[in-house]
Amino acid sequence: MTFLIRQISRTSDGREIIRPTEIDSTLLSIGRLSENQIHLQDLAVMPRHATIERLDRHRIIVKAMGTLGFDVDGRPVMEVEIDASKGAELRFGSHRLTVGQDQQAITIAVERVEALSDASQDKDEQKVFSLRGLMPGKRVSAWSFAALMLLAFLAFPIWSWSSYQSVKERPQGFHADQSWSTGKLSQAHASLENNCQACHTDAFVAVRDESCATCHAGTHDHAPASRLAAAKAPPGVGGRIQNAFAGMFNVPPGRCVECHTEHEGEGRMQPTAQQFCADCHAGLNTRLKDTKLLNAGDFGIAHPEFQPAVITGFTGTKPQYARTSFAKKPVEDSGLKFPHDLHLSKTNGVAQMGRRLAADNGFGDALACKDCHKSDPSGTRFQPVDMERDCAMCHSLTFDQIGGTMRTLRHGDPAQVIADLRAFYRGTSPMRPSNLGGMARRKPGLYAEGQVYNAYFGAVQTRSGGAEAAIAQVFSPGGACFDCHRIDPPGGKNASWSVQPVAQTARYFQKGWFDHDAHRTETCESCHAAPGSKSATDLLIPDLASCRTCHVGGTGASLKSVAKPVESTCALCHSFHADDGAPWSTRQRVAAQKGGTNPVSGKPAIMNKQTGR
Amino acid sequence: MATATKRATPGRVKGETLHDGFLRHRNFRWMKIATLLSLIAIAGYFLIDVQPRHNGGSWYGYGLGTIGALLILWLTLLGLRKRSMTRGRWSLKAWTSAHVYLGLSLIVIGTLHTGFQFGWNVHTLAYALMMIVILSGLYGIFAYATLPVALSNNREEMTQPQMLDALRSIDRQLHDAGQPLEHHLAALVQSSLDQDPFGGGLIRRLSGRYPNCATRAAQAAIRRETAYKPNLGEDPLEKVDALLVRKEAILARVRRHLKLKAMLEVWLYVHVPITFALIAALSAHIVSVFFYW
Repeated sequence: MTFLIRQISRTSDGREIIRPTEIDSTLLSIGRLSENQIHLQDLAVMPRHATIERLDRHRIIVKAMGTLGFDVDGRPVMEVEIDASKGAELRFGSHRLTVGQDQQAITIAVERVEALSDASQDKDEQKVFSLRGLMPGKRVSAWSFAALMLLAFLAFPIWSWSSYQSVKERPQGFHADQSWSTGKLSQAHASLENNCQACHTDAFVAVRDESCATCHAGTHDHAPASRLAAAKAPPGVGGRIQNAFAGMFNVPPGRCVECHTEHEGEGRMQPTAQQFCADCHAGLNTRLKDTKLLNAGDFGIAHPEFQPAVITGFTGTKPQYARTSFAKKPVEDSGLKFPHDLHLSKTNGVAQMGRRLAADNGFGDALACKDCHKSDPSGTRFQPVDMERDCAMCHSLTFDQIGGTMRTLRHGDPAQVIADLRAFYRGTSPMRPSNLGGMARRKPGLYAEGQVYNAYFGAVQTRSGGAEAAIAQVFSPGGACFDCHRIDPPGGKNASWSVQPVAQTARYFQKGWFDHDAHRTETCESCHAAPGSKSATDLLIPDLASCRTCHVGGTGASLKSVAKPVESTCALCHSFHADDGAPWSTRQRVAAQKGGTNPVSGKPAIMNKQTGR
Repeated sequence: MATATKRATPGRVKGETLHDGFLRHRNFRWMKIATLLSLIAIAGYFLIDVQPRHNGGSWYGYGLGTIGALLILWLTLLGLRKRSMTRGRWSLKAWTSAHVYLGLSLIVIGTLHTGFQFGWNVHTLAYALMMIVILSGLYGIFAYATLPVALSNNREEMTQPQMLDALRSIDRQLHDAGQPLEHHLAALVQSSLDQDPFGGGLIRRLSGRYPNCATRAAQAAIRRETAYKPNLGEDPLEKVDALLVRKEAILARVRRHLKLKAMLEVWLYVHVPITFALIAALSAHIVSVFFYW
């Protein structure tokens, strides 16, 4: 009944050294202490760990002595019976005990299978002292990051583009090419945020004007493309290089997006910078030799004097306009006689009359501008002065009263006036004396009574002839028409009395936009010197210098110091895509004030209502 | 060329031949060039009136972008160039010097190229990656300038294999000394032996703090065990205790070494991979800009 213990150790090159020991006993002890027959130098083994008892020729029983068990074929146990002829593998700490049978003896091969400490194991010095094991390799992470970037920000967006290329509107949700967007679209284009293909139609083809025109149809061109190109200031070196590149890649010049830049962030689209105007207009006459436009670069310091359109005379009844610079001190011939000073005086008879009529007409202590001038519904300009509405409360044309009804001469129709006066004299009698009443027969001898009779009926006979005198009086100095109008008397080509034509200019600045509504903070007199104007031909429109008392250039430049400067780019008054309406920037401002609506106030350039004749 | 190398470096005593690092190579030649480049870019940004405002799509923006992209590619080439050390005008040191200073000038060029327009898009992503690469490189310069001294002081002329051997030797002695111990004490020693001295994650490495150190725990436990026993010189625990103290000391040195080495290395694990991410994002940026022109 022997046990054959084989202690196996290995040389550094892995060769096995076996030291066999034969023990003739039926009971073996295993433990860390040297008194054990199987002595395991292993701190994970208990000093007296287990016993091995031989039961018969083949069988042994292994029992743990303490609380710590051991492994049999990888299974932890406290006690196990083993048939040595079939073999088994026991594990105590770092040691492996392989049980077998060699003829009569039961063999136990003992071998240390683990290094005695972690540090004693094979270690790649280069590796353990570096971060190599702790972090993903530089090469691996480099390529994976790069691949991730290319997939997420190149391949995926291109896939998005190709899947929706011909779609009008994409479904809501995430689209990978949004990661290419350099910024949010402006408020006006916010609905296109998801639809890159609306503008970016073809790959590597710069956004074309056709894309814009899909929605913005009928936008006015500023000028023919050839003249635009000729007017432009030549670009600097950088600009020329960029143009050369643009040309190489088939990017046409003068695209909408050159001025109207997008992806600049949410909110309103920023107005195009003044520089875009000044690039051409600052020295326009040097490049467009035949231009009639004067150079303008900045309202504050480089703007030509205004040229209001004033009436210079009439052809027939049609007013003739001429744009004349304020430098030439233009006067206007409206056909009317109207001294503003007389009407705006605070002390004269006009003011007194105004006070008398104040209750019915809403006048104040004296007449004010608003008493005669009514603004149009948009507040931009003023309606033409209307005789019946704005003058007749004082300048009455009443000539007769029937019961409680006043009969008035018809304004604007001299022939009718003449006819009405003649009819008045024909159809009415002088005041009938009261003693001519009744059907009583006249008694002889009452001569005085006969005198009244003759005087009255004599007058009745000659009354219609008095009409001509009345007509002449109406059209002559002191008469109702003559007060305000220039009169042509009968004679020569004129068969009868006639009134010269009258016109009022509704818009003096045809190339620029002026909005009275935007100037509500100012009094009328601060721009219009009406209280001192003695003649209707005075042009009461403010000139450039007057505007410049508040308005400075787009970047704040001014010739004189301005107390409360209003920075004014070209776009405040002018439109690039000019139509009859307000400039884009004004519309934007009004829209903002009115909460988002953007009305196009397309009014005729000149409102020409002839109010009297 | 030859005369240039003979010229004494200003600020140094004549005849003194000190090592000229890549930072002060040729009396800061590349720092001067990079500063000039940055100043020109900044001056251009403020002097050139780009309408409506500066952005990457103006001619100046395109110019800066092109310079920036080429610089990034050239800077990346240091990874290839460093594998062959040469001397002379185009020495590796000169390249490294240029890499550092031109890389720093990229902060100016890249930022001006953005026109200060940022958003959640591939363009800003490329910029952010570039800044990460530059900042990690900046840290790298700091690490290379300061840490080698500390590393050398800590090693006290011990090599890494020597440190490993010292650990192994202590472990063998601990193992032997622990043999007579009772099981619960032996288990303490075993836990010290079993713990990987190079274990712990990146945070442990960089902080140098190992709160779960088994050696320290074992030593503390054994101290508690021996606290009230007279030291007669025959208790095996006393030997184990002494060995654990020695092991703790060598572990402390190894861990300081590991920490310094990790600090020297870690930035490259950001610098290099993010550079590749940057080049990929840059490609996507360039393609996208012209794809959706």
